[in-house]
Parts: sequence; structure tokens; C-alpha cells
Amino acid sequence: MSLTPNEAAAALRDIESAGRRSGQAFGYRMSAPHLVIWGIVWVVGYAGSDLVPHLTNVLWPAVVLVGTIASLVIGALTGRANKVGRAGDGWRFGLLVVVFWVFLVATFTLMHPGPRAQGAFVPLVIATIYAGVGLWMGLRFVLLGAAVAALTLFGFFEIQQHFYLWMAAVGGGGLILAGLWMRSA
Amino acid sequence: MEPSPEQPNPTIHQPVRLKIMAALKALPEDAQLEFVKLKDIVGATEGNLGAHITTLEGAGYVTVEKDFVGKRPRTRVTLSKAGRRAFEEYVAYLRDILDTKV
Repeated sequence: MSLTPNEAAAALRDIESAGRRSGQAFGYRMSAPHLVIWGIVWVVGYAGSDLVPHLTNVLWPAVVLVGTIASLVIGALTGRANKVGRAGDGWRFGLLVVVFWVFLVATFTLMHPGPRAQGAFVPLVIATIYAGVGLWMGLRFVLLGAAVAALTLFGFFEIQQHFYLWMAAVGGGGLILAGLWMRSA
Repeated sequence: MEPSPEQPNPTIHQPVRLKIMAALKALPEDAQLEFVKLKDIVGATEGNLGAHITTLEGAGYVTVEKDFVGKRPRTRVTLSKAGRRAFEEYVAYLRDILDTKV
């Protein structure tokens, strides 16, 4: 038994298709708990910024720290359960959060955005990252990035009062819903 | 018996088993894929998928782990090292056919 070139090409297409679907679904499922965690971070951080604005400078570092630790723990647990992950993944993720934090501080120092602009800038950066990652990892990330960016811009320009509550609901809530959606993949 | 380079590996060559192997190969080494997720990706019925997984397990290409999550039974499938190697050889065989055509 030997195959014709057409049969070989068809088999390679099947392999590529099944592999892509499997890889994407795996990426979605591994990302899901992290999206839920950071959705909760956004809900607490933004809702707190609206309800107790004088605590904002303390609240955000605290919730980001808790989110980072939760992501590290969940990442280690899901990695072990799925038998994936490499030594050093934990400290790399922690360092990534620090790098991102430094980037934000540097940007805000250079550009002096107001509090509302700061509150919109971070989700826009995150949305850009999701959309970019989605070009490799799948359409769901692209849609998530587009939705977060669109809702952030809409809130920034159209919601004059309680913009932070808007971000808590649609930004944080959106991440949580996206996490549940990814989990179903 | 190892298949000759001129012939496709008959275990992997079957379309459903080919998709199972491709789906598992796309994951990180030693990663497991749940039976229900594999069913979605491959597009096979439970019985059909189960039979093909048994064939692949018999050939030593996959390992199957069964446990319970709460009261719900769970079956997870992993590509073995032998399976990974056999699949890579099969893909090389397919590419050789196309290269020969050119």
C-alpha cells in the first residue's frame, strides 16, 4: 500500500487541522483560570478606586500582588495536573509582572496621564497583548482583546461619572466571562 | 514489524487515529488530553474513539489514565515517546511523497 501525492497532502491537511484545534483548545484551557483571577483583580481594583478613591494607591499594589501570587499557585497546580511546565516558569511569571509594572511607572512618569487616562491605559495595553497573542493562540484571544479595548474606549469617552465602576463591570467582568469561555474549549 | 519507508504505518494511517495522534502531538510532551475534548477535536463518536484509542494503546503509541473527578469518571490520553516518534516518521513519510512529486 502506498499513497498518492493527493492522499498525502490530504492527510497532512488533516494533521494540521487537528493539531491546530488541539493546541488552541489546550492554550485556552490553560489560560482560563488566570483570566478569572485577573478579572477578579480588576473588579476589586476598579470598584475600590470608585468607592474608596483615597485608598487607590494602596489598593492596586495589594490586589496586583494577590493576583500575582494566585496566578503563580494556579499555574503550578494546573501545570502539575496537565504534566506541563518547565522549571523556572514561576519566577519568570513573577518577573514579567515586575517588568510590566516598571513599564507602567515609566510611562506614567513620562506622560503624566490623569487618573482616568491611567485607568484606561492599562486595559488598552492588556487588550493589545491579548489581541497580539491571539494571532498565534486563537481567535478567542483576539475577540477578547477587541472587546476589552472597545469597552474601555467607550467608557472613557462616554461614561463621565463612575468610569471605574464601568471598568470593574465590563473589564473585570469581561475577563471573568472570557475565562469561563476559554475553560469550555 | 516496523513499517518500511515505502509504506505508511498502518496503525497511524487510519483517519481517526491519525487525527488522535495529531491532536496529542500538538500538546507539550507528556501533556494529557481528556477523552471528551479529544472527541470534540476528532469528531468521532464515543464508541468509535474508544476503539481507536484502544488500538493505539495496544501499539504502545498512547497511554490511558482513568480516574474520578468527584463522582465523574475521567479518561485522559497521553502520547507516548514511541507514539511521538512513530507519528514524526509518518509525517516525514507523507512529506517525502510530496517532495518526490516535485
